[in-house]
Formats: sequence, C-alpha cells, structure tokens
Amino acid sequence: MTTYDLIFYLFALIILVSAFIVVAARNIIYSAFSLLFTFFGVAGIYVLLNADFIAVVQVIIYVGGILVLIIFGVMLTNKITEVEIKTESFQVLPSIIISGIIGGTLVAIFTKTNWKVAEPQILDKTVTEIGRFLVSHYMILFELAGIILLVALIGSVMIARKEKLETEEVEK
Amino acid sequence: MENNSIQNILESLNYFTPELALMLTFFVLLLVDLFFRKSKYLLPAISLVGFIVSGYLLVYTPDVKGFLFSTGMTNIGLYVIDPFSFFFKILILLAMIYTILFSLSSKEINEAGGNRGEYYVLLSSFALGMFLLTSTIDLLLMYLSFELVSLSSYILAGFTRNVKRSAEASLKYIIFGAVASGAMLYGISILYGLTGTTNLYLINFYLSNQNIESLPLVIAGLLIIGGIGFKISMAPFHFWTPDVYEGAPITITAVLSVASKAAGFALLIRSLKIMFIDYTATNLQSSAWAILSQFKWNELIAGLAVLTMTLGNLAALWQSNLKRMLAYSSIAHAGYMLTGFVILDNQGIMAILIYFFIYLFMNLGAFFVVMLIADKLGSEEMEDYTGLGYKAPFLGVSLTIFLISLTGIPPTAGFVAKLYLFGALIKAKWIWLAVIGVLNSVISLYYYLKVVKNMFLRESEIEYSHNLGHGNLLITLSLLIPTLLFGIYFKPIIEFAEQSVRIFGF
Amino acid sequence: MIEQYIPLILAILIALLFSLFLLKASSWFGPQRPNPEKLSTYESGMEPVRTARERFSVKFYIVAIMFIIFDIEVVFLYPWAVNLKNLIDLMGFFIIAEMFIFIIILLAGYLYLLKKGALKWD
Repeated sequence: MTTYDLIFYLFALIILVSAFIVVAARNIIYSAFSLLFTFFGVAGIYVLLNADFIAVVQVIIYVGGILVLIIFGVMLTNKITEVEIKTESFQVLPSIIISGIIGGTLVAIFTKTNWKVAEPQILDKTVTEIGRFLVSHYMILFELAGIILLVALIGSVMIARKEKLETEEVEK
Repeated sequence: MENNSIQNILESLNYFTPELALMLTFFVLLLVDLFFRKSKYLLPAISLVGFIVSGYLLVYTPDVKGFLFSTGMTNIGLYVIDPFSFFFKILILLAMIYTILFSLSSKEINEAGGNRGEYYVLLSSFALGMFLLTSTIDLLLMYLSFELVSLSSYILAGFTRNVKRSAEASLKYIIFGAVASGAMLYGISILYGLTGTTNLYLINFYLSNQNIESLPLVIAGLLIIGGIGFKISMAPFHFWTPDVYEGAPITITAVLSVASKAAGFALLIRSLKIMFIDYTATNLQSSAWAILSQFKWNELIAGLAVLTMTLGNLAALWQSNLKRMLAYSSIAHAGYMLTGFVILDNQGIMAILIYFFIYLFMNLGAFFVVMLIADKLGSEEMEDYTGLGYKAPFLGVSLTIFLISLTGIPPTAGFVAKLYLFGALIKAKWIWLAVIGVLNSVISLYYYLKVVKNMFLRESEIEYSHNLGHGNLLITLSLLIPTLLFGIYFKPIIEFAEQSVRIFGF
Repeated sequence: MIEQYIPLILAILIALLFSLFLLKASSWFGPQRPNPEKLSTYESGMEPVRTARERFSVKFYIVAIMFIIFDIEVVFLYPWAVNLKNLIDLMGFFIIAEMFIFIIILLAGYLYLLKKGALKWD
C-alpha cells in the first residue's frame, strides 16, 4: 500500500463515517454539521485526482455556502426549543434490503467493469484548461449556467418574500 | 484551431436564433417587470411577441449541415437542428402561447398579486429550457437544460403560494425532481466512465466498436430513462403527477402536461435512438432498427408503457376531482405514446408525433374548459358539475368533445391518433401491446364519460350562469376546431409528422 | 503530485492543534474561582432576556442564497481571469464579450433583488 492509497482510504473513511452520521443522527443539526466533513472528504478526493481547482471550489461553495444555507434552512423552519427536530426511521428492514441490492449492484459494477481509462495527463494548472474550455467548447453551457442561477435567485426570492407580500395587500 | 472555433461559434449562433429570441424575451420581461409594472396586459403581450418571434425565426432558420458549437478536439458539437427538434419546438411554442392566453383569463393568476411578473419571466425560461432539451446531443447540456426546465417548473407549480395545496405541490415536485435528476446524473457519470465522452454520437461510436459489459450499460440506461421518465410521468416515476397537477395553478398544469412532456419525449427518443442503436446493422429508412449490445431497452420500455397506462387509467377511475382525473389521464396518455417507441422504427416515432400533435389540442382544451368553469364555480369536484351541460351549453359540449377525443372515439382527432399508434404496433407484430392499449382505452371511456354523464344526465339546483367573453370563446374554438377537424381531415398532420421523424445524422 | 500538498496538510494540522490548544490553555493555566455571577450568561453586561435558540427570519435565507449565487459567479470568473491574457491571444476579444454577457445576466439578478426590496431589512 502506497502513501497515495493510504491517503485515499483515509478520506474515504471520513466520507463514509460522516455520511453515515448524516443519515443516522437523531438531531438534524448534527446531520448538517456532519455533512461538513463529508464535503471536506470529497474535496480531499478531488485533490488526489489532481483536480485542484475543483477541490477548492468544493470547499468554497459546498462548505462555505451550501452548508450554511442548509443550517439556515434548519433554523428558520423549526422552533428549536419547542419542537424537537428529529429524523425518525421508518421501514428499516425493507430499506436495508433495497439499498443493499442497489449498493451490491453498484459495487459489482465498479469492481468488475472495464472502465475506459484516460491517459494520465499531469497538468500543472488545471485552471488554465478549465478556463479555455469554458469560453470555447462549453461556451453555451457557461451562459446557460448564468441563466439557471438567475432563475434560482428569482425563485427563491419569490418564495421567501411571502410575509411581506401579505402585509402589502393588507395595506391596500 | 482556436480562431476556427470562434468562427464556428459565431456561425452556430445564426442557427441558434429561436433560442436567442427566447433568452431575450426572458430578459426584457424581467426588466420590464422591474421598471414598469402598471399595465396588466404588457407582460403577456411581450411574452406572446417573444414566442411568436421565436416561432418565426424557427420556421425561417436555414437547414443546418452540421453540428452547432463544435470546437476544439472533436468536430461533433453540443447541439443539432433537425426536423425532429423542429416538430417538438413548434409543439412547445404552441403550448406556451396557449398558456399565456389561458393566463389572461385565469382567476388564480390574476389574483396572485405582486408576483405576476415572475410568472411570465419563468414561463419564458421554461420554454428556453425545453427548446434546449429537444435538440441537445451532449449529456452535459442535457443535464443543465433539464435543470433549467425543472427549476422553472418547480417555482411555477408553487406560484399561488398562499394556497396551501399549491405550496405542497411545489415541495413534492422539488423532492421528486431532485431524486430524478440525481439518478440521471449518476447514470450519466457511469456512461461517461464507460465511454469517456459526453457526446451522444461519440458514445454510440464507442459502444458499437468496443466490447462493453452489459451490466453497467443497463444500469446507466435505467438511471437515465428513470430521470427522463420523471419528466414524462412514466410509471414508476409518476407519483408526483397527481399531487402537482392538482395543486399547481391550472394554466401550469396544462403546460406541464403538454409542453414539458413533449420535451421529455423528444429527449428520450433522441438520446436512446442516438446512443443505443446499431447503425451498421440498420437500414434506417424503413425497417426496424437493430439494438446495440445486450441491453434490450425496448422491452423494458414496453413493460413500463403497459404499467404506466394501466396504473394511470385504473387510478383515474376513482377520482372525484376533475384536475386530478386529468392528471391520471395524462399519465395514461404518456403510456400510450411510449408504446410507439417500443417498435423501434420510424413508423412508431411517426405515430408518437401524430399522437402528440393531437394530444396538444385536446388536452389543453380540456384543461381550459375546466379552468373556466372552476374559476366561476370555485371547485373542480365532479359533483359540482352536475347539470352543467344545460346551464353552460357551450362549455359543456366543448368539454364533452375534448373528453371524447381523449378517449379516442371517432370522429374526433383522438381516434386518428390512437388508430395510427395501434396500427403501427400491429404492423410491427406487437399485437399484445396493441390489445392492452385498446383495453386501456375502453377503461378510460368509463371515467371520461362519467364527467359527461354528470353534466348532461343529472339535474342540479346550483345557480350557474356563465358569460363567456369573446376572447375565451375564440380560444376554446381554436382548440375545439382542430380537435374535430383533424378527426376527419388529418392528411396535413401525417405529412408533417412524416417529415419530422428524421433525426440528425442518421 | 501529492508532495505539493504536504505544506497544506501541515498548515491544516497546525491550525487545528493550535486552536484546540488555545481553547484548553486558559483552563490549564488560569486560576479558577467560580461564583454564580461569573457562571451566568454574559451578554455585554445586559440581563439575558430570552433563549438564544429562536427561529431565524427568512431574510437570512435570501442573503445566503444570494451569497451562494454570487459565489458561483466568482468561481466561474476565476479560471477566466487567471489566464485572460493567454485567452485573448488565442481567441481575441470574443471571450470578453462572453464574460460580459455572463456578468450582465447575474447583474440582472442583483437588480431584481434591489428592486423587489429583498435586501431591505425592516
């Protein structure tokens, strides 16, 4: 086992354990914080794959943004003191069987399949290549991403502005 | 090489004008809504103009001889324009234009207060996403436009937020949609791992030249079919449909049941046909296509089609809410249309196109009449419709015609649609599928006619008078006349569909 | 390749250990003479009125969404900006137009937020 393997399994362990806590934790806040470690672990895997830019993006957006959003979401939906936020499990046995089957199939796929292996290219800076693709080949995707973000912004504002709108109508 | 790629992109933009027009409409609507928000008719007028301009550009876009946005290392781009996508884009535009017209007289939309601007803005982004879905040939672009369509429709489904069931519909839609797009993305990643490319044509090339294990291919195919199946409400991914259709504003229900389904079908047919057909062994003009590898996806789709139509029809039998019943009926129709794809030849695709064209008019018509009555009556319960046929004869008769057409009884257009579909099935020796389809149509007769019976054969004491405006009358007529006319004179649709089966490249 | 990251890992480790050390250090080295006043919640000298675990206003959510969206914009901007010169040499000023379109799209979102009063805190 090389150091590379060792680091990989370390990150994989972090991901698996924290992801398990996400689904198993009784308190939803614990789930949210456990997700932090999952995201970090994934960032570590990206580093191992030489995708340094993606790893940084993962940390900035998922850890810095999405997770904060999730925690806000938890905090604004429930009165934490009065109602216990709990996640309960139903139908444990059927779900174990089904996810066992799905998991088994996926493991079989990932171990048995003859994946197409790309030539290992060591790039000094992945950012340069990403930038070049973004403005040339994937230019239309790039602009489309902007529109999707805009739609998401409009939608969230529209949904979140609820209370204010009602007061406006009362004033009329 | 790089300069060449800019040339390509700029050239491609010439063919991309309908989509650019939609993008522009989106922005103009957004800005106009922000700065001039007084007039009631301004925004719908702008969106109508935008859609019509886009349609005009669509019709006058010259025939492309290559892929759009191809640059760099491969010559195969991200986007194609072909008769097949043209057909679905026309369909989507028609549905969008009707939706805008419906919204003008919809009580739900007009009473929604300060958010009417967003409604039109999101409708145009919805249209843009569907346009991209119909002609994308790259898995990445496919996923992104899928997300654009989904995001816009989640928000639109919850548009009347103060109504509890609308918020519920939106939430359920988001949860199901997130699972579906996650599954699709997973399938895409497996496919990418197998072939090393996201382009549908290159995937096909790789799959037909390389020996690939069938298990990962089957799983990837299943996941992708599942993701798209969510959009066309194919069983077993249909659970969201009744709740969302019932909870969403009825104009949105109408557009979801026609336009977003059309985009889903276009995507399903295009992606599966390009990826999983063996072109070396196929005579593409007439005979059946040969399937690549051991993944017999057409048998899978046959099973799902049977499941979809049977579940849809059986569940529709028990519904007392008209919107919910129409939701289940739209599931059943998706099932009928899927059977056309099982045959794996151009006849089957043609039958689907014919069916879709007719389905557009009859389904939109049924939803529009239900909307008009529900706005007046304040309810969509079937019980409240008793005796309506005498109090509002025009609406009653129109609804009856639309429902009869949905059943598929001559002389309405629905009959022609089913005739071509089941005819194609029988011709291709899929007789058991045709038999199940016919049996399902018989079941559907019961619940469609239950509405008619309620309207005409029972007396009621409800006071109801409907003063239908000229505009609504015209809209109803413009949906009613095709429904009847295409039942007798259907040659133009057949020709249009015949021209439109051609998918780019093959 | 991995060797490049050793300083990073070291930095993370040191930061982690040092902050843990500082947390514990005061209890290790400082004198501890507790009384009830000292142990009560300290809120800038005020008497604490209610519990701190309250429901958040939904406005925080809009701010968070806004943050993520403009965060993603920056992420897209970055690979473009770091080799701008290179890209202009390759493809001319077309790429500047592309980025402007992208920025304008998101600027429209900002304008929307301003106009709809989503940023007003009343």
